[in-house]
Amino acid sequence: MSENKPRQRETRLIMISPASNVTPDQLARTVHAMGRELSVKETCYGCLLEGDPKTVVEVRDELRKLDPHGIYSKRRAYPAGDPRRCRAQHGTRPGYSQLEAEWKLLANLQHAMDAIDMGEKAPPEPKRNKLPVKEFKEICEVNL
Amino acid sequence: MIKIAQLSCGTEYSSVQSEIEKAAFSVGGKMVYPDVGADDVDDAVREFGFNPRSPQLKLMIARAVQLSKGVYDADAVFIATCFRCAEAALVRNELRRYIQEHTRLPVVTYSFTERMKSAQLLTRMEALVTIVTRKELLARERQTGLTAGLDSGSSTTKAVIMHNNKIIGKAWMPSYDVVESATTVLNQALEQAGYQLKDLEAIGTTGYGRFTLGKHFNAKLVQEELTVNSKGAVWLADRQRGEATILDIGGMDNKAITVRDGVPDNFTMGGVCAGASGRFLEMTANRLKIDVTQLGALAEKGDWRKAKMNSYCSIFGIQDLVTSLGEGKAFEDVAAAACHSVAEQVYEQQLQEIDIRKPIIQVGGTSLISGLVKEVGEVLGERPIVPADSQYIGAVGGALLSSGFLL
Amino acid sequence: MKKIFIDPPNSMILFDIVERLGHEPLSTMAALQERVDNLEIDMPPMNVTLDDVIKGLKYAGIEVPSGIRGRLAVWGPQIDAADAAIVMTEAPYSFGCVGCERSNEMVKYLLRRRGIPILWVEYPRDKEAAMRMLEETKEFLEGLE
Repeated sequence: MSENKPRQRETRLIMISPASNVTPDQLARTVHAMGRELSVKETCYGCLLEGDPKTVVEVRDELRKLDPHGIYSKRRAYPAGDPRRCRAQHGTRPGYSQLEAEWKLLANLQHAMDAIDMGEKAPPEPKRNKLPVKEFKEICEVNL
Repeated sequence: MIKIAQLSCGTEYSSVQSEIEKAAFSVGGKMVYPDVGADDVDDAVREFGFNPRSPQLKLMIARAVQLSKGVYDADAVFIATCFRCAEAALVRNELRRYIQEHTRLPVVTYSFTERMKSAQLLTRMEALVTIVTRKELLARERQTGLTAGLDSGSSTTKAVIMHNNKIIGKAWMPSYDVVESATTVLNQALEQAGYQLKDLEAIGTTGYGRFTLGKHFNAKLVQEELTVNSKGAVWLADRQRGEATILDIGGMDNKAITVRDGVPDNFTMGGVCAGASGRFLEMTANRLKIDVTQLGALAEKGDWRKAKMNSYCSIFGIQDLVTSLGEGKAFEDVAAAACHSVAEQVYEQQLQEIDIRKPIIQVGGTSLISGLVKEVGEVLGERPIVPADSQYIGAVGGALLSSGFLL
Repeated sequence: MKKIFIDPPNSMILFDIVERLGHEPLSTMAALQERVDNLEIDMPPMNVTLDDVIKGLKYAGIEVPSGIRGRLAVWGPQIDAADAAIVMTEAPYSFGCVGCERSNEMVKYLLRRRGIPILWVEYPRDKEAAMRMLEETKEFLEGLE
């Protein structure tokens, strides 16, 4: 499907990691200060940007500079305030619960990006070997 | 606006979500989704006790738990999942039961395909809204004054005149033009009662043609057949108090309604297939070259076990019937087999979606086919009550409820 | 820049990481936007149209529930267009479009059948696991060039 086709609008959801000190209000003010032609709507987890795709991506890059590993984004299918998606209209759509769950993971991701930047290497995955039969037998004998 | 909580899976990816919203909106309702935090989901699934693989079904469960705990406020519940999804069918029915056990909210369940249009949901949504907005009217047990009820059904049109809680005139005929059929039966019923149209203090209309008739006769009550029929049924059967299940096997669709003190709290309406409807019995009677009114008595004398009828489709069902007759089977056994097949299908396709409460009150034109009532009894383990004038439930309900609008 | 199918296809985390690493994520959001913005339709749909659900027959037969066919009509063409895929397993979340487990299984199968490079990453439960996931993803995407 044509992600490459020219698009009239792009709506992008900007989310702040729970471990970041940036606030939604700060994001909105930064966007306003840039004086670009796009709309910004503050939300409880960050903000929504809406405008032509090129501007939206450039503004996102600027916002990321506030906290490079603490600010995340994805596109959104529905325009900002669309009554079909609006929480105030019907309550939350299913995707909201997922977003909430992903938001909680962002702190881990942020710390991981910081560590990689500091030159740390990821420790190898701890091996989970099966308990040798002999040991298991001993445990059984002691406990039963 | 009446808030109808939607517990569903697949509606947005079957292109039916806007149809659901359209149906709700047109009857003064609004679909809402109980808010659920991501953390609530696992707890809710544990509490409910059924752990489906599909996350959306888990979310449905969490939403139901929010409703049962009163954390989220709604007036009625609509539970819908994709047709042919086994996992969802299990969750749908158990959630319906859970909501009924934990709340007093009226519930309706539905399994949809991508072809579902808002019109199919209209009667169901309207009934949900009626139960919420007309609680007092539905609690009415006595008819007062001089009123008429008109029931414009898919097969027949019925009229009843009532005066001070008594039926004083009644008539029915096969439906053709909605207004003409209704005018004919209304005039016949009025003549029987010894009154004229201008004497009537109120008219109530129900059934497929209710809106047209409501406008034409300037009716005080225009209401869907689910709530109207259940009122008519409990009045006719004199079961206004306590619990009951009303079963109406219709010409085009079947209704099963559970009531508590005469007010419906759960219902199913459907009939994907004519094999489970009155239409099939009409076809059977035609093939046996008898009138459908004679089919019941004939079937009562027969034994369904002696004739093969194991098809679920009216076309193939008739083929089975022809084969049986060709093999020289007795007419009464074949008639019994046809009745049994309808009873079995109603049980398998529809009665699974509600919890049957005894007694069962069987109503509608098909309740006059005694062989069918017998077979329903055999399938359900208890012979249903068939009140006198059982084919007039809709008209009686209309006359009874419309009297609630008199000063 | 390669087209990367992400699974779950509405995941913000996978979408963000793929973009950060300079590639184009193929997401549910983009596919749905085309439908949402389609002004030729009188009443813009909620996610998909009846036509979509019927097009889903390319991926699953009529006996398959409509919700699965509607989902596959959205993701199927993206899977066909993808150069590679990143699949996150063991994710403790996934609602909405990824709410149907059968559809999710079918997506993984369709990806395997296409034979494109697939990176399977486990949902990271701590910082260390997140580091491993990021490193694996970076290495995978660099290897595609």
